[in-house]
Amino acid sequence: MSNGIPLAEALARYRPDADLGPLPELTDTDTLLNAYHPDHLRGSVVKLAVGANAGDSCQRDLAGLLQSEAFIDEADLAGTPVTDIDVLVIGGGGAGCAAALMAAEKGARVLLATKLRLGDSNTVMAEGGIQAAIEPDDSIQRHIQDTLRGGHHAGDPALVSAMAGDGPDVLRWLIRQGMQFEQTPSGDLHTRRAGGMSAARLVHCRDYTGLEMMRVLREAVIQHRSIEVWEQSPAVELLSNELGQKCVGAVLTSLLDGQLRIVRTRSVILATGGLGRLHLNGFPTSNHLGATGDGLVLAYRIGARLRELDSFQYHPTGLLHPSHLSGKLVTEGVRAAGALLVNGLGRRFIDELLPRDMVCAAILRECSEGRGIRIDDQRVGVWLDTPRLERANPGLLEQQFPNLMTRTRVSGIDPRLEPLLVHPTLHYQNGGAVIDTNGATTVPGLYAVGEVAGGIHGRNRIMGNALLEIISFGRRAGIAATANRDRGPKKVTLEHVNRLRRALTLAGMPMTQRAPQVLPAYAAGGVWNR
Amino acid sequence: MESLNKKMPLVETHLVLLHPERRVGADMARWRQSGGGEALARAAQDPAAVREEIRLAELRGLGGSGFPAWRKWDAVAAELPKPDKYLVVNGNEDEPGTFKDRLLLEETPHQVIEGAVVAALAIGANRVVFYINPDLARSLAAMKAALEQWQTSELPALASTALGRPLQLEFLPGSGHYIGGEETASMEWIEGRFPFPRGKPPYPAQAGVHGCPTLINNVETLAHVPHIAVHGAAWFRALGKAPGTGTKLYSLSGDVLHPGVFELPMGTPLRELIFVHGGGLLSGKPLKAVFTGGPSSTLLTPADLDVALDFDSLRARGSNLGTGAMIVISEGTGIVKRVAEYERFFAHSSCGQCNSCKVGTATMSRLLDRIDTGRGTAADLASLENLCTMLPNSGRCHLINGAVQLLDSAFHHFHDEFRQALR
Repeated sequence: MSNGIPLAEALARYRPDADLGPLPELTDTDTLLNAYHPDHLRGSVVKLAVGANAGDSCQRDLAGLLQSEAFIDEADLAGTPVTDIDVLVIGGGGAGCAAALMAAEKGARVLLATKLRLGDSNTVMAEGGIQAAIEPDDSIQRHIQDTLRGGHHAGDPALVSAMAGDGPDVLRWLIRQGMQFEQTPSGDLHTRRAGGMSAARLVHCRDYTGLEMMRVLREAVIQHRSIEVWEQSPAVELLSNELGQKCVGAVLTSLLDGQLRIVRTRSVILATGGLGRLHLNGFPTSNHLGATGDGLVLAYRIGARLRELDSFQYHPTGLLHPSHLSGKLVTEGVRAAGALLVNGLGRRFIDELLPRDMVCAAILRECSEGRGIRIDDQRVGVWLDTPRLERANPGLLEQQFPNLMTRTRVSGIDPRLEPLLVHPTLHYQNGGAVIDTNGATTVPGLYAVGEVAGGIHGRNRIMGNALLEIISFGRRAGIAATANRDRGPKKVTLEHVNRLRRALTLAGMPMTQRAPQVLPAYAAGGVWNR
Repeated sequence: MESLNKKMPLVETHLVLLHPERRVGADMARWRQSGGGEALARAAQDPAAVREEIRLAELRGLGGSGFPAWRKWDAVAAELPKPDKYLVVNGNEDEPGTFKDRLLLEETPHQVIEGAVVAALAIGANRVVFYINPDLARSLAAMKAALEQWQTSELPALASTALGRPLQLEFLPGSGHYIGGEETASMEWIEGRFPFPRGKPPYPAQAGVHGCPTLINNVETLAHVPHIAVHGAAWFRALGKAPGTGTKLYSLSGDVLHPGVFELPMGTPLRELIFVHGGGLLSGKPLKAVFTGGPSSTLLTPADLDVALDFDSLRARGSNLGTGAMIVISEGTGIVKRVAEYERFFAHSSCGQCNSCKVGTATMSRLLDRIDTGRGTAADLASLENLCTMLPNSGRCHLINGAVQLLDSAFHHFHDEFRQALR
C-alpha cells in the first residue's frame, strides 16, 4: 500500500473551493464490493469445521477463536463461590442496561456483569443517532425496506419488522428515562437523513447520541434496587445443564483479583457487543477496549447457531491522522450534513451517502489504485472535505459536531481549515447469534442482544440502526428472560465445553489456542491469563 | 490418535431394544413391519407362560433396584382385583447422568407400550398408566402419538378379550419432582396428590394406586418383555455375560470422547464401556473415578475397571449398578465439588416429610459446600462422618440412603481429598 500521492503534495493541491469534477457513475456495485471490500479479501474466509455452524463461512481469525479450547476446566471450579440470581446480563453497554432494566421492571433479581466499567462500551461511541420512523413522510414500512436493502436482503424480515416497529416507542421510553434529543425550533424531534435512508429518520443528540443514551441508562441501572452491578467481571465461560443443552449460568472472573465466581440462573442475556479489538485483517478499529468477541465464542461453545460470520462493517471514515486517534470515527453525520469525500487528485469518487460497505470499498479502491493521500508506507487515506462544508454552512461543524471538534482541536487540527484524512476502520460485526424476536438464541435459557446478535443488519448495517436495535431487543430480551419460568438448574456443568473438545478431537484439530480473549494482547496487563 | 478419528467404535454388539429397525418413533405401520404386535398375540394366547419366561430369563428391575422382576409380577398376579389392578410404567427418569428411558420412549414408544400391555396381561392388570417425566417433551410427544395410534388399532381389543375385561391405557405426565420416581410417590401423584412416598408395608402389590394391587416397572424393564415373550428365556439369558442376563442400556457421560446410550450385554466390563464404546477419556487425561448414577449412586475407581457391570458383581464390590449410568471423571476434577453438587441435588429433591431426610440432606449439603469452598473445619468433616452412620434407613423411601451411600463411597475412596480441602 505504499503507492499514493504524498501528503505535502496533496495538501498543496487542496482547495476548499476547487471544482471537484463530475461524480463518476457507479456501474457495478458487486464488482466494487468483491474487489475491494475487506470481507472479500482472498484467504480471509475459512469454513468452520465443528459446532453448530460447521460448514459455514467464517472470517479466519474469528474461526480460530470459535474453535478453541476453554480457559477453565472442571478443576478450576473447585471451591468457587456461587451466586444465585434470576437473570444474569453479561455486558454493560446500552443493550445490557436496557435488558437489565426491563427484567428488573418485570420483577426479576438481576445481576449485570461487565468486563470493564458500566458504560464502557461501543454504545458511547455511537455518534450519529438513532433511527425511528417518526416523520410524516416516513413509515415503519420504509424503515424496514431501507434496513433490508442496506443489508443486501440477508437480514431476517421478522427481526427487522420487530425493530422498526419498536422505533417510536423506543424513543418514548428513552425520553422517559431522561434522554435529551436535538429539537427543531418548534419543539419536534430533529431528524436527519443519512446513508441508505429513504427519509429523514435519524434522531440525535448533537454528535454524541450514544454517550447521552448511556448516561441515562447507566443512572437508571445504578439506581434500580433490583439490579446488582459487578464491574471488571468478564464472563469466561457459560454453564450448561447436565446434558449441555441448556444455559444455566456463567463463570465470571474478576480483573482485580482473578477469582472465579459461578453465577447460577434461569436466563443469561449476552450483551457483550462486538469484536473490533480482534483487528480482523489488520484493520484499525473504532471499538472500545473490551470489544474482543467473547460473546460469540461463549455462545458458539454452548451450541448456539451464529450467522453472517464472514460479514463485518468497516466504517468508511475512521481518522488516519494523527496516529494516536487512528481508527477513531468521524461520524457519518458529517457526511449526512454534506461533507464530501475527495481523493488525492482533488476529485470526488463516490456518492458519500451510499451504504457504508460501498463507500468503504470505494475508498479502498482509491487507496490501492494510487489516488489516495500517503502519509507514510503504512498509511494511505482520502480527504473528508470539512472546510468545504464549513464554507457552505458557516458554524455548522462547531454547533452540530462538538465532539469531533474537541477531539481534533486537542490534536492541533482544525477541521474548518484543513480536510480530515480518513481511512476505513473496523466498526461493526454485522452477524452474530441467531435470535428470534425475543432475543432468544437457539440454546434454551440463552438470549443475545445488541451487536453480539445477528440477523437484523444482514450483511451491512445502515446508520442509526445499532442504537435502535440495542434498546428494542434489549427490552424484548429482558422481558422474555424474566418470563422464562424454567425450574432452574439442578446441576451446573461444563458439559458443553466437553462437547466441543470431543468435536475438535474427532476433527483432528489442535486445541492450543484458548478463548475468550477478554482483553486485546496490547492492553495493560496483557491477555487475561490465570 | 488414529483410533480417535473414527466416528463410531467398530464393535459388534447385539442390539435388541435399540435395534435400528425398532427406532422408528411413533409409527405403528413400521413398528408392525419389524415384528411389532407378535408378543401381544402370543401373550393373548397364554398370559401365564409369559410370567414363567420372565422368571426363567431372570429379568431384573432396570430402574435402579435390580430386584427380580418376576417376584413383583407374581405377587401382583396372585392378588384379586379390588376392583382394578394397575400397572404403572415408570418413565419419571430424572437420575443424574441417566438418559436411557427417554430414548426408549422417544424412539421406540410402541415397543414400550407392547411390553406394558404384555405385562398387564401376564399379571391380569386392567389399567396401565404411562407415567412420564413432564420435562421430556419429545418423549411425551412420541408416547402420546403412539398411544393414539394404539387406540385406533385392533390391539387393545385383542388384549381386552384375552383379559376378559376392558384394558385401559392412560397417559400421565409426572410432577417433575425427582422424588416422583419413587414407587409409592408415583402412586400418590396418580391419585392426584403431591408425590410423597408412602410407608411400606403395605407394598404396592397388595395396595397401590387407589388401594388396588399395583405393579410398577421401569420403562427399560418393560421394553424387554416383548422380546422375551417372543424369543424365550434361553435366548435372553444368552445375550448377557453370566451372571448377567440380557442386554442393558448404559448411559455413559462425563469426560469421555463418545458419550451416549450403549446397549451392551449385561455384565460388560467397565473398561470396555469406557475405552472401547466410549472412545476413551477426553484429551487423553487419566481416569479418576466413575459415578454410577441411580437412586443410590456410588463411586468406582481405576481399580474397578475390570468389574463386570451387572447388579451382582457391583454389589459384591460394595457399589451399585443403579440405572446403568456411568459418569466418568478425569484426573483434575474435584471430587468434593462433585459430591457437594450431588448432595445439593438430594437436599433439593427431598420431599421433606421425614425429618431425618429433610434435615439430614440439607445438613450434609451445607457442610459439603463449606468444605468445598475452603471454609470447612475438621469438626465439619467429623459431623459428616457421623451422619453417614446415623442417617441410613431413617426415611420412608430410599432417598436418604442414596444420599448417604454416595458420601460414604466418596469418603471410602477419596478421604484425603476431603481432608486437604479443610481450612
